[in-house]
Amino acid sequence: MGYFKNVKKNFKFKDLTNYIIVGIILLLSLILKATGNLPRSSMTLLTQIAFSIILAVSLNLVVGFLGELSLGHAGFMCVGAYIGCLSANYLGKVIDSQLLVLIIAMAIGGVVAAFFGFIIGLPALRLKGDYLAIVTLAFGEIVRNIFKNMKTFGGALGLRTTTYKGSLFIVAFIMVFVTLFLIQNIIKSKHGRAITAIRDNEIAAKAMGINVTYYKLFVFILAAFFAGIAGVIYGHYASPVIYSFFSYNYSIEILVMVVLGGMGNLTGSIVAATLITVLNFQLQTRLSGDLAAIKFLVYAIILIVFIIFNNAPKLQPLRERLSITRILHERKEKRNPASIKNDQAKWDKIPTKIKMDEVLSVDVTPESPYTPDKPDKPVKKGGK
Amino acid sequence: MKKQIYIFRKVMIQMRNFKRILALMLVAVLCLSCFAACSKSGNTDGTTAAGDTTAAGEDKPAASGDNYAAKNTEYFIGATGPLTGDAAQYGISVQNGAALAVEEINAAGGLNGKNFKFDIKDDKAAAADAATGYDTLYEAGMQASLGSVTSGSADSFAGKAVEDNVFVMTPSASAANVIADRANAFRVCFGDPDQGVLAAEELSGKYEKIGAIYDTSDPYSSGIFEAFEAKMKELGKDFTTQTFDAENKKDFSTQVEALKDCDVIFVPIYYTEAGLIAKAASAKGCDALIFGCDGLDGVKDQLDASVKNKVSYITPFDVESKDEKVSAFVKAYTDKYGAAPDQFAADGYDAVYVIFEAMKKAGVDNVAISASELCDILVKTITAEDFSFTGVTGAMTWDASGAPTKEPTIVELNK
Amino acid sequence: MFMTTFIDGLSLGSIYALIALGYTMVYGIAKMLNFAHGDIIMVGAYAILTTLNLGGHPVLAAIAAIIICTAMGVITEKVAYKPLRGASPLAVLITAIGVSYLLQSVAQLIFGSKSQTVTIGNYGTVNLGSAQVSVATLLTLLIGAIIMISLQLFVKKTRLGRAMLAVSEDRGAAQLMGVNVNMIITTTFAIGSALAAFASLFYLMQIPSVSPTLGAMPGIKAFTAAVIGGIGSIPGAMLGGMLLGVVEKISLSIPVLAPYTTAVEFALLIVILLVRPIGLLGKKRREKV
Repeated sequence: MGYFKNVKKNFKFKDLTNYIIVGIILLLSLILKATGNLPRSSMTLLTQIAFSIILAVSLNLVVGFLGELSLGHAGFMCVGAYIGCLSANYLGKVIDSQLLVLIIAMAIGGVVAAFFGFIIGLPALRLKGDYLAIVTLAFGEIVRNIFKNMKTFGGALGLRTTTYKGSLFIVAFIMVFVTLFLIQNIIKSKHGRAITAIRDNEIAAKAMGINVTYYKLFVFILAAFFAGIAGVIYGHYASPVIYSFFSYNYSIEILVMVVLGGMGNLTGSIVAATLITVLNFQLQTRLSGDLAAIKFLVYAIILIVFIIFNNAPKLQPLRERLSITRILHERKEKRNPASIKNDQAKWDKIPTKIKMDEVLSVDVTPESPYTPDKPDKPVKKGGK
Repeated sequence: MKKQIYIFRKVMIQMRNFKRILALMLVAVLCLSCFAACSKSGNTDGTTAAGDTTAAGEDKPAASGDNYAAKNTEYFIGATGPLTGDAAQYGISVQNGAALAVEEINAAGGLNGKNFKFDIKDDKAAAADAATGYDTLYEAGMQASLGSVTSGSADSFAGKAVEDNVFVMTPSASAANVIADRANAFRVCFGDPDQGVLAAEELSGKYEKIGAIYDTSDPYSSGIFEAFEAKMKELGKDFTTQTFDAENKKDFSTQVEALKDCDVIFVPIYYTEAGLIAKAASAKGCDALIFGCDGLDGVKDQLDASVKNKVSYITPFDVESKDEKVSAFVKAYTDKYGAAPDQFAADGYDAVYVIFEAMKKAGVDNVAISASELCDILVKTITAEDFSFTGVTGAMTWDASGAPTKEPTIVELNK
Repeated sequence: MFMTTFIDGLSLGSIYALIALGYTMVYGIAKMLNFAHGDIIMVGAYAILTTLNLGGHPVLAAIAAIIICTAMGVITEKVAYKPLRGASPLAVLITAIGVSYLLQSVAQLIFGSKSQTVTIGNYGTVNLGSAQVSVATLLTLLIGAIIMISLQLFVKKTRLGRAMLAVSEDRGAAQLMGVNVNMIITTTFAIGSALAAFASLFYLMQIPSVSPTLGAMPGIKAFTAAVIGGIGSIPGAMLGGMLLGVVEKISLSIPVLAPYTTAVEFALLIVILLVRPIGLLGKKRREKV
């Protein structure tokens, strides 16, 4: 438990933000539930939010911190859901307490998914970028194809599971806390710094003596473990578990949460996972009948507008004007104008890039006094 | 312990304003309450799960005690189905059929002057979405339901409905496990195993070389095929099998090539793929009869002049039937939606009418009746010996198993 | 029997190859995974269907498809991808997925979800030795080869093509050399989408059915094919598409393997990438610190 030492030293109040956000969601729902105002559909929604957060946070570990694009997260979830729920079905016959069964199933599902994470981590050592992305996508498709053809898991009919009779969302949210605690502390430890070093420059990291193989496998295993747990939670609220749910489309949906929330930003992942799950839920339940067809249209437009607003380089000034953090921090900065000196992030924002168009618009003619060597012929534009 | 004290001190130093103290207190409260709730739920589970499986944990009493339908001014029938994605055409057909039935019922004065309302939520043919859809519908005051359109979703839907005792009359989810062991679940269509057995009996006597193509990723298709295979074995008849799945369901040249010499190709699948198989067979010069089950209904639109093969299928519903009821339905449907109905639409239409007729017969006249109460009444009425229903998919009676008894007919195309 | 399976595989592979050509063009130059490429094919298919339903000739339908697809490609590029030039590639990937959802739902709203059948003439079959081959297959192969060669020539020999190569090698340096990067990327999208229109025409010749989700699976398969061949490589896309088509058909023709076909195809991809991490004909790039 070496990294807990670092936790002490590096502790900042900011680190509690994630717990506070998740805690507020849970607290509000618990208050509503205690007063009897929490309808069942909201409990389902809360469960969905919880496992989406687990998925998004764990995928962020791979995409945001390790810097490898993974399109197979739903595949790990699939493994967890099928294996965990099958074992839960057997355990349910022996153990009376459903909570205990769920916990054991989560452990089994998580560990088996982690094993698959190890397997998919192996090609990750050799492949990069988009090539790795397609391999993870392929992995997810292979996994669900195999589960589909196995009679033990119900084949095309899917695996019937015992749905959790108590409040699944409470258990799920406790798992969110566990996930956040582990992942956040790992990121803050020396292991986390090693992982981000690999993201920023793998060769340099290797040269500094970081064991790249170890850390890549470590991240894939860890992310798969949590995805497996999310799968078990999923299987305990939706019966039957059917292979078609875990298609690459779902992996992409998790990726959308990570990208919208910001890569390497756990708070962002939590918020984005919550918002997207709520949005999907609202679209599904509000737009019924003939309106259902515009569901994807609305979702797509929101997605495109959000991504463009969040990422377009040209909208940077607009974003800064509307930024919440800026508004919150402005007062503090006025008090302490020297703060920019020490703030690395501020320095990064100062534009240092040469603007290509401006450079190109300078006329370079043979007569120009600035031309060091006069060429024999006038320069042809765009010539070879 | 030292560690915690250290962290706590650090926190205290950092907290300079009231807001932050508030936030920390919130976290503390949250942790306490969360663990308290957790241990509580653990206890209840421990005690209740041992006994009755339907008696649920802690949130059950509050839910089932409420009558969400108390404020209804119309009778509310709900359903889920795929309205977007690959299977959307089937869900939309059911939606259209059911909506047409509700419209007709309301136009004729409803039930004792009270109108009906139908709402269908999109489930993308996914079990989880069907469960969500069910919860929302139930809380919106759904009193009876059409379950779901596809088998996987219907299993999920009926599994939730059985806990609240909500009546389910699924139009098209034919897998055996949807209605098995569920007293509240019924269906309008034939069951998968029955169709497989029927097809085996029909084909084994008439043809020498028999081939089959089925979809391994679809519960409907594999369900029928398994029963067909078992029956053929029992009859001592050999046949050749080819498969496809959801990821490879566009190009059927390989499958047709393998079954080129067969006299008949049995296709227990939906009409979209069957149309492609028929076209592939014609292109390959294979003149086998394409024989299918009720999923093939609607295949006519999918065939063009190039298809020379005969196509026939077992179905309870025939668009071209001369029956008065059927032709009236086909006309009304075509007028409203601009296309001829398929079997899904007919099943959806009938399912609504079965619920309506049963309610009429039982003399239900409380528009705010709870779903559970209505379910008991409907189950009793529908399984009663003197209840029979003649809809556009034929005359039907039900027993406690939930499966209908009705006569199939065989429709032939390209005669 | 094997020969027929092989030819069926080639004919399916030729469709994958045509789609993969568009994929690989866009990826090679714009450096983005255009997940909406499959849906451009769907747009092309609906364009053909509509023209034929209005009584147009197949040739007219093909021209309509090319115009509409090109316009669609350019519009999506201008509206959805161009604002993100210079942003993280993942943001562009997600936008492409958004565009894909958008096109699918718009198609469902306009044309309904039911798959519609479309007939682009019947071209019959010819005998090649023991096997029967449909003319549509031969035509697809021929056109695919012509497109591949002319693309190769275009990229290597013309000014515009060389500018494209330059952009794909080093965008910044190309811009410094006076290449209009924005224009080049838009042109790439136009060409990629026109190829998608061709793909939709040949797709419909062999699989005569149109639905809003038509593009999704061929899109993913073609993407796989492009990666197998080495993404960014034009002959690689052709080779990858053919290989994938043949493997799919062989796997389907073996009863034990048939249900696992998808797994077999993707396993092929993983194996090839493990042996050659840059695909069969991909170009290796050196990495600098």
